[in-house]
Amino acid sequence: MLEREVIQSVGFRNIRENGSITGFQFKIRLPYYRGVFLCQLRPGTLFVDGERFEKEDIVWNVDGVDYTWEDMKTDMDTHWNVTRPAVLKVKKEGGLSQGFHDLTYGFCFTSSYMPPIMQDALDPDEEAVIFMPEFGKHVNSRRLIIV
Amino acid sequence: MYNYQHKGPKRGVSLYSYSADFGMIKNLEDCLEDMYDMGAHGLEILANTHIENYPNPTDAWVDEWFRLLNKYEIVPVEYGNWIDSHILGHRELTTEESYRMLARDIKLAAKLGFTVMRTKMPVIDDDLAPVKNWREFIEMALPLAEEYNIRMCPEIHTPTNLKSKMIDDYVEFIEKTGTKYFGLNIDFSVFRTEFGPGDHRSPKFTPNDPEDMIPLLPYIYCCHAKFNHMSDEFEETTIPFRRIIEVMQEHNWDGYLLSEYEGADKYTPGYEVGQTLRKQHIMLKRYLGD
Repeated sequence: MLEREVIQSVGFRNIRENGSITGFQFKIRLPYYRGVFLCQLRPGTLFVDGERFEKEDIVWNVDGVDYTWEDMKTDMDTHWNVTRPAVLKVKKEGGLSQGFHDLTYGFCFTSSYMPPIMQDALDPDEEAVIFMPEFGKHVNSRRLIIV
Repeated sequence: MYNYQHKGPKRGVSLYSYSADFGMIKNLEDCLEDMYDMGAHGLEILANTHIENYPNPTDAWVDEWFRLLNKYEIVPVEYGNWIDSHILGHRELTTEESYRMLARDIKLAAKLGFTVMRTKMPVIDDDLAPVKNWREFIEMALPLAEEYNIRMCPEIHTPTNLKSKMIDDYVEFIEKTGTKYFGLNIDFSVFRTEFGPGDHRSPKFTPNDPEDMIPLLPYIYCCHAKFNHMSDEFEETTIPFRRIIEVMQEHNWDGYLLSEYEGADKYTPGYEVGQTLRKQHIMLKRYLGD
């Protein structure tokens, strides 16, 4: 089952490849009331304890397949369902240290049935002018523990 | 498949109502069992929300879908789909691309037993006017819709007025083509007369009288029974439901009223939207004599 928070607590861990820790991952759910195709997504910036990670450096894993930001921009066929969290993977040699970490991540998505003036102003790292709960917040934060 | 024999307006639920809970504290079966408790037989799903692995559900999921519909005596009425013309951001989809998106949904809707689609149009302005090429891609899809027995219906929603150019354009298209496979879904938000303090009211909005629906009834294949506030005496206090239903009955309209609860309070932790739906269904049962 999903947690109500957009950033999920389950799935937050360091990534180990060939015996060494190469980065970390966490899961997010889509706070919109419907699923989206990957090209609808507007990924933004991740901050972990103030350290900044750009959208180009974050890989999205949807239903077991990795997508870079470049891959996602034109993908009109892969659908991210509201009931399946996406895994976000970030390269960071040595991973994150044991203990608490403050995560803040921004992303949003387009909706063709909303007035274009609202669509043009979409910014994943800033909230929309009018908050609509069925779209969720763009920027979400959570403090989570690495073991 | 379950067959509900009843002429006239009848009760159903749009699973959009459960949007704050779906996937967290309720799954598809929970929603359908809630409907069974209410005796609501008509179902609207949102394709992009409620179909696992949309747009490619597995055969096992489709088998489970029909098992659940039979178990809870549910008729699949309306399949909510979107034509996402602005999906790429940097350019609009071509007519051909929009058609392909629509065709994929027509086939899937029919596979799941639906007969109506709530075809959400992409818009180009604040008045929610549809994209310029809507006639082209709808016309391209008409033969397929006929083959699969699907009626594509844009949803007419506040602040749009039933007496407006948008509706005139849709009606003109229906009359010109003579099609039975394109029509309207009227969202009862267009009839809302009461707004409480803090309720958003668009400056563009003028409420319609229920009678304004009469000339459109032949083209209306289902409705969103939008509601905003149910009292504990089981009355809706913002929309003239009693009169709306009388108008539909007087004119022998036959179809489903799909409850759609859109109140922002449903996102408050602990809010129980199922109980809100039950209140509305007590009201609807009384008005419908059901």
